[in-house]
Order: sequence, then C-alpha cells, then structure tokens
Amino acid sequence: MSAAEKIISIHNASKFFGSLKALYNVSLDIHTGEKVVIIGPSGSGKSTLLRSINRLETIDQGTITVDGKNIDAPGSDINALRMEMGMVFQSFNLFPHKTVLENLTMAPIKLKKIPRGQAEEQAMALLKKVGIEEKSGVYPVQLSGGQKQRVAIARALAMSPKIMLFDEPTSALDPEMIGEVLDVMVTLAKEGMTMAVVTHEMGFAREVADRIVFMDQGEILEIGTPEHFFERPEHPRLKKFLSQIL
Amino acid sequence: MAEKHVVIDVGDGAALPRKRDRGLFNAWWIALIGALSIITYLCITRPDPYWRVLKFLPDGILVTFQVTILSILLALVLGLFTGLGRISKNRVINLIASTYVEVVRGIPLLVQLFYIYFALGQVFANLPDSNALFIFLKNMPPLVAAVIAMGICYGAYMGEVFRAGIESIDHGQTEAARSLGFSRTQTMFYVILPQAWRTILPPVGNEFIALLKDSSLVSILAVSDILRRGREFASVTFNYFETYTMVALVYLVITLLLSKVVSTMEERLNYYERR
Ligand SMILES: Nc1ncnc2c1ncn2[C@@H]1O[C@H](COP(=O)(O)OP(=O)(O)O)[C@@H](O)[C@H]1O
Ligand SMILES: [Mg+2]
Repeated sequence: MSAAEKIISIHNASKFFGSLKALYNVSLDIHTGEKVVIIGPSGSGKSTLLRSINRLETIDQGTITVDGKNIDAPGSDINALRMEMGMVFQSFNLFPHKTVLENLTMAPIKLKKIPRGQAEEQAMALLKKVGIEEKSGVYPVQLSGGQKQRVAIARALAMSPKIMLFDEPTSALDPEMIGEVLDVMVTLAKEGMTMAVVTHEMGFAREVADRIVFMDQGEILEIGTPEHFFERPEHPRLKKFLSQIL
Repeated sequence: MAEKHVVIDVGDGAALPRKRDRGLFNAWWIALIGALSIITYLCITRPDPYWRVLKFLPDGILVTFQVTILSILLALVLGLFTGLGRISKNRVINLIASTYVEVVRGIPLLVQLFYIYFALGQVFANLPDSNALFIFLKNMPPLVAAVIAMGICYGAYMGEVFRAGIESIDHGQTEAARSLGFSRTQTMFYVILPQAWRTILPPVGNEFIALLKDSSLVSILAVSDILRRGREFASVTFNYFETYTMVALVYLVITLLLSKVVSTMEERLNYYERR
C-alpha cells in the first residue's frame, strides 16, 4: 500500500457551522485501491468529511486534494473532479422521473457524451452486476429500498469513478435488505475499487477495511487496521463507542 | 428526511374539477351543461340578437387566445428567471428578482396596462426615428403593449410558482446530480425542473385561466378581444343585456373547458409516481 499513490489527501481540514466544529484539524490520506471505513457516533462529522471530499460541503480551513488537484483552488473544475468520485447517499436520491436505466445513462450521455447505445449497454452490464437488470425499465418508486440503493451504486459506477464514497448506505434500509447492498459493496471492494465508507456495519468494516477511522466531535481520534480496532482499541471514547455498538 | 410542506398559493383561476372532489366535479358539469343549454336555448328561441352576437364573437375569441397565449409565454420565461433569481444565493440577482415581484404585485394590472400603453407610449412618441427598435416602440400596436403588460404582471406571480416548485424538490436530488458532475444549470434543467413541473403546472394552468379572464382588460386599449367585440356589437344595436349575457356565457364555457384540460394534464404528469 505504501507504494500506491495518494488519490485523496486531506490536510488539517476544519469545517464550522457557526460555533460548532463539524470537522476539526482532520488529516487523512486515501491511497489508490484502499478501502477506508469511517465510524463514529452520530453527529461526529463523518458525513461532513465525506461530503467535503467532493465539495458538497466546503471546508473553512485546510486543504483537500483529489488526484493531485486542490479542490478549492480557484481554477479547479469541480464538476470534472466530481466525475471521478461516485457518491452513494443514505437516502438513495435516485431521480424519480427517470427509469432505472435512465438513472444510469443520464450522466454518461450528458456529461461524457457517450453514445446512447453504448451508455445503455454499459448500464445494463452494471445493473446485472448489482443483480437488478430485470428492473431496468421501471421507475424508482417501484423498487424496494435495497434495490434502490443497488441502483444508486450502479448509477455512480456508470461514470467509471476512481473512488467511491458511501455515506451510511444501509442505514435507511430494512434489516433484511442490508445484506444485498453490502454484498455489492464487498464485490466492488474485491475488484479493487478505492472506497471510503461511512457505516455502522462492523462486520463489513472488519471484512473489507484496510484501515478504519474513528471520529468523534469533528476530530479523528484513531486510525488503524480492523485487527487493531477490534482487538486493541486505544482511545477511551473508541472503546466506549465499540462497547455500545458491538 | 425532512418533511416538505408545500403550499402554492392559487390565484383566482377557475376551479379545477377533480374526481375525488365530488362537489366541484359535479359543479363543473352543471355549469358547463347549464351554460351550453342556455346558449343553445337563447340562440334558437331568439336568434336575433343572440345568434347574431354569437356569430360576431369568434374573431374576438381568437384575439383573446392570442393575447393570453403570448402573455403566458412571456410570463413563463420571466417567471422562470424570477423564480431562479428568488432562490439565487447572489444577493444582487436575488434583490432584483424580489423587487420586481414586490413592485408588480403592488400595482393593479389595469394601471400597468395604462402605464405601458399610454404613459410609456407618450415617452416613446418622442423617440427619434434613428433605428428599427425606436420606430417599433413609437408605433407599438396595442396588442403588443397588452402582451408586455400582462406578461410582466403574470411573470411576477409565475416567479413565485416556479420558486415554490423548485423548492418543493428534495435537496438530495441536487446533491445526487452535483455529485455525478452535473453543473448547477444542468442540475436545474435535467433534474429539478422536470420534477418541479408537477408542482408548477397546476398553478400555471390556473394562472393561464386567470390570465384569460384578465385579458378582458385589454379591450380598453382597443384590442378586439371577446369583450371588445361585444362592446362594438352592443354600441351599434343597443342590445346591452343580450350581448353581455352572451359574452359572459362564452367566457364561462371557455374557462370551464380549459380547467378540464389543465386537470387532465396534471393527472398525466404523475406518471412516474404510479406504482
Ligand atoms: N448544514 C448544516 N448546518 C448546521 N449544522 C450542520 C450541518 N450539517 C451538519 N451539521 C452538524 O455538524 C455536525 C456533524 O454532522 P455530520 O457530519 O452529519 O455527522 P455524522 O455524519 O457523523 O452523523 C453535527 O453536529 C451536525 O448537526
Ligand atoms: Mg451522517
């Protein structure tokens, strides 16, 4: 891993909402092919960190570079940078006025100028990969939560991103649907995708993460391998958090 | 997810008949069949003057539609920009849009019509003949003045309709689109507006009907709409009662039919919500 290039580099990032420190002096590098799982209590800044990486939130201090480019630099093309990062939200956010297939083809056709036929072929391949090809013609309202999230993952993948950001992708799902989404994510991880995942699924973290990041009150308190995290956690607040969640 | 509570203030458009609202739905049929029956009865029993009035009106109906459609198109364009301006984070743009809405809403439509046609007309009359625009303005046809005035007036109301429609769409939609790499503008046109239409269209339909009724005001500028044609007829024949009875019935039938069209379109727009 040490030889791999840093695809994301966060340096001393801080973000304030009024007097609230949503992020405080956060530094984190993510290397190509690496899977980083971010855990922490609710309100600890996990979403803010993930959203700052593709500038859905702008940080107040510090720098974030993606693929060597500072995302806040005056001349940076944030839309082009975002095309390299897929984002999956807790609430799916599929486009309800588009069919499943159109949800996947819209961005490649409009933004990458990929011919419709080719975009649809790629989209069908992705739908097959997430196990939902038979639903290509329906509108999102007709899907279950688990199906929606799998479509959302496929939609992000349709732009062939270099990294995938997941913000609690299974938190809005009924328990019986969590597995089907995690399976897709595990497959993706095995294929070598670079991933940053905010989740409370400790089984997933243990199985997939190269490193786990523990956040609390806007700060990163501990970073380590799954083995380190679950066998010998150090920070008292991490110990407390793990005792509550496991 | 935060619950969205959207209220779009509906103006004085005709009542939209909906099947679930039995009262209005039935009232719609009663009004339509009643109006058509009365028109038929009057034209058969007293063809002079009723049938003669009715034959005199179609030119006016055409003009009324012309004014209404051109005005609504202008209002839609102005409304879109105003709505976007009202939600803009750019303070100057926001202030311009908001001021436009406040000013226009505070001045009666009839006064705006007079202002554009007579007041500005007087200013334009003194322009030199130096270019095509000036020459056009000097000789501005009343219909153009009417369309501009009504478009500007309804554009302000439409701005609020667009704003409410755009704001009714969950912010997650914007975030999903932006995270894929869509620009602000692309997000608006590919993702937000196509969904906002469902919220926007019903009030737009109502505004269209309200505008059609308000367009009778332009008869004052010597635009030969339905009302103006009626006035012309009455001033020659002195059949005021019969003429204006017919004029009123014609307006009623038109607005009733239009309200049906609007509600049908509205139902069609919900296609993707059907399970
Ligand atoms: N747009 C916002 N405005 C104000 N406060 C916010 C906003 N977004 C997040 N916060 C606050 O920032 C803190 C971190 O939020 P978040 O990153 O969503 O935490 P997490 O994802 O770990 O639950 C929380 O206290 C939250 O209330
Ligand atoms: Mg969160």
